Amino acid sequence: MAFLRRKKPSFEGGGLVLFEDVQDAMAAEKVLRKADYAIRLVAPPPELRAGCDLALEINLVERPGIERALKEKDAPYVSVAPLTVGTSQLLEIVKATDFGDQVMVRAGNMKLSFDKASGIIVNVSGGGCPDIPYLHSELMDKKLSEAPRPRDIGFTLCALMLDRALEECLTLWQGGEER
Amino acid sequence: MMLIAGTVPIRDFPLTIGRAVLEGEDLVVDGRRIPCAQGTGAMISAALAATEYLRLEAPQVLVAGDTGQGKGTREIYEYLIQKVGDVSPEVMALHYCLPVMALMRRLCESIQRCPHRVLMIADAGSMYAAKAAGLAPCFDVFTPDASEMAFLADADATHPAYVARHLFDADTNRTPELVADAYQHKNAARLLLVKGATDYVVDGGDIVATVAEPNVPALEAVGGTGDTITGLVSAFVYAGLELHEAAIIAARSNRMAGKFAQATPATGIRQIVGEFPLVFKEYLCQWSGVCYTVGGEQ
Repeated sequence: MAFLRRKKPSFEGGGLVLFEDVQDAMAAEKVLRKADYAIRLVAPPPELRAGCDLALEINLVERPGIERALKEKDAPYVSVAPLTVGTSQLLEIVKATDFGDQVMVRAGNMKLSFDKASGIIVNVSGGGCPDIPYLHSELMDKKLSEAPRPRDIGFTLCALMLDRALEECLTLWQGGEER
Repeated sequence: MMLIAGTVPIRDFPLTIGRAVLEGEDLVVDGRRIPCAQGTGAMISAALAATEYLRLEAPQVLVAGDTGQGKGTREIYEYLIQKVGDVSPEVMALHYCLPVMALMRRLCESIQRCPHRVLMIADAGSMYAAKAAGLAPCFDVFTPDASEMAFLADADATHPAYVARHLFDADTNRTPELVADAYQHKNAARLLLVKGATDYVVDGGDIVATVAEPNVPALEAVGGTGDTITGLVSAFVYAGLELHEAAIIAARSNRMAGKFAQATPATGIRQIVGEFPLVFKEYLCQWSGVCYTVGGEQ
């Protein structure tokens, strides 16, 4: 079996955008990436967490522009705070396992498998949040390039991990197509 | 009575409680259909297969629709918080739910008011909530996979997506270290069934068994195979087996069903569940001593 590991480049931001829920954080990430800000999703400090909480690490120097961009796009957030305590990073470890006709990609606690010949998603496993069985039914039997993105229709960190897996599957699949 | 509680991925599916029955490929609870698919449906289906074979009362299930925003989760927890004393299950298995620590805390307080001790099993989001809230020791059984084991071992993590890299990246042969960390930080149930290439059965911090055969690597890719293990453990515990026996037989049964189904990553969980009756017929007596003759008597 072949294994693939990848880690995205580190990013030192120094500031946190805090949100009421994961859905708001994912929406804000989309807005800020489109505006070309360097950002990353992280866990907020433990005293601010409430289960599936999520925050955006930003370059604190860019705070005014970031807050303006979020407000212009009606992306709700609670506050922007300096990052003063050690913060856990959202897992970026992605591994692929080759089963012959299919490849399984694991991102965090989520796994997505696709057929190498057709690019069709054949299974979704792992996770524990309630949007995962829903995403399972939405993604199954769809081509990777035509499947809905979990980050667009899911609500939780498990959905975010599944989106990471789908992203990696797309990279592998598109690389395979090109060969 | 055994109670299984968890969300189903059907928006606006109302809070429903009743006995589960299998009709065709679907489960039916109080006249409402639930697909036997990844999640609570797979867990119920596996438990039902075991209780049917053992001629036990079918599981009582409490389900509500939730596609990730937490509505069904809150309905299930509020119902249990108010009524668990009346329902008074002997075994309660909690499954796919939005991890909300405050709800889990209130539920564990309510369970203390039951007239008898409730044997508590958790997997998926309910296990995440129990660990994050510091309530793991209130549970009898957790059934984590490898990434969830790293989550239990990480004292600070509130979700498997935030696990410290050095723990998450651990090779499965480091499972004993992760298990030790989880028990040291009081983030483990009394018994852990750690699902992986090798399944570990851990009782009170001691590894009492490992299960590695039959080896069907593709099962990891099949959505719902973790859920079926938890369903089987719940049913076997309800049948009266010791926790570690239930865990060992559940792990073996799941693997054997995968072998019988000739599982590949494209196999559906219904195919695995469909093999359980044959697996029980061929192996359950040998593995557990629970044996039936043609007349139906033990």
